[in-house]
Amino acid sequence: MTRKKVKLAYITNDSARKSTFKKRKRGLLKKVSELSTLCGIEACAIIYSPYDSEPQVWPSPLGVQRVLARFKEMPELEQSKKMVNQESFLRQRIAKANEQLKKQRKDNREKEMTQVMFHSLMSTATGKGLQNLSIMDLNDLGWLIDQNLKEIYIRVDKLNKEPLNPPPPPPPTDDHGLMPRTSSSVDNHVQPDHHQMNMETMHRQRWFMDLMNPQEHMGFVGDEMMLPFADYNHNALWSTAFFP
Amino acid sequence: MVMKKNPSTGRKKTATTKIQTKSHLQVTFSKRRSGIFNKASELCTLCGVEVAMIVFSPGNKVFSFGHPKVETILDRFLSAPGSKKHQLLEAHRSIYNIHELNVHLTEILNQVEAEKKHGDLLEEMRRLNQREHWWEAPIRELGLHELEQLRASMEELKKNIIAVILNGGGKVDDEFLESKAAAFIIPNGHNLLY
Repeated sequence: MTRKKVKLAYITNDSARKSTFKKRKRGLLKKVSELSTLCGIEACAIIYSPYDSEPQVWPSPLGVQRVLARFKEMPELEQSKKMVNQESFLRQRIAKANEQLKKQRKDNREKEMTQVMFHSLMSTATGKGLQNLSIMDLNDLGWLIDQNLKEIYIRVDKLNKEPLNPPPPPPPTDDHGLMPRTSSSVDNHVQPDHHQMNMETMHRQRWFMDLMNPQEHMGFVGDEMMLPFADYNHNALWSTAFFP
Repeated sequence: MVMKKNPSTGRKKTATTKIQTKSHLQVTFSKRRSGIFNKASELCTLCGVEVAMIVFSPGNKVFSFGHPKVETILDRFLSAPGSKKHQLLEAHRSIYNIHELNVHLTEILNQVEAEKKHGDLLEEMRRLNQREHWWEAPIRELGLHELEQLRASMEELKKNIIAVILNGGGKVDDEFLESKAAAFIIPNGHNLLY
């Protein structure tokens, strides 16, 4: 069983607190020593605890004096630039954790939408499956498809320019789904797949809106992806009303 | 040798000498430095002790952590014991705030972990699907004929999406609708579905 997560609060039980202190203090000092060796840098630690009248130090009282001297010689600004107390340190960590959470949620959202896309491609009930998707999902789905279509066009262009390599055998078509029957024409050592492109904001409500009235936002300063259809219009097949 | 692998305890690396490559050293420094400050902060919270740490970076910048404050600990270490009273007052005032921050941080870290697990699950499902469906493979691995079929199906799906949106289909989430209500009127009534 994994180690139980310790609750980050003052340990009221005296003996538990004392033993925790001993173990964690040793761990902390060991880590400082490793950092110093690994990175060839100077560091020091001073710990005042109720269990010792003298402070516990690393590397040694003399070593601490030397580091403090070097620290005090630095300009005031330099000293305080990266100085934190517990409160400011925790606030920094909270900010970083929030960033991490946001990114993780975005990645997951993208993975989910990719799954929905491939599922919708497959299901023969073409319109029905889409009914229970929210407008936001439909928008994101549309946006995701656009990205994939763009990539397909680029890939097709590339292949057309390389007449030498023989085209792989066409996969047999299956009867029920839109897509041909599964076949092993694709060997299954699949590298990390790039359908999950890096999307700044997955919630592209704009996708459908841009579709409906492309002129209205022509002046939109947003990134190029906000102008669907504009940049891969070379394909004659692609003729819809939005196309000048 | 730089890193002696300690077979008995698995992945643990024993730090014996300085890291040679500069970039590896810098990455190690920043990760371990923040990890150490985190351990110091936990020690203060759990055991109510006072800690000061000073760490010089490979680029000769200086990082420092102090609870309750770096200055008070350094003064205490360098000067006479007289300044004890002043610290206790300060430590008491910030304890309440720290507890709140610790709780908040733990909450977010738990959510991050949950999202990570969810992501791994999706990743796993993705791998299974890729083995079964050739069209889920990365586009760079598909041949011309496959690409053509994938393109056709995607465009078909896209038309369906447009149709569903246009017919006011799809579960409506109000916040979206309110902001974009007017947009649903097709300016020129052109038939979109080619």
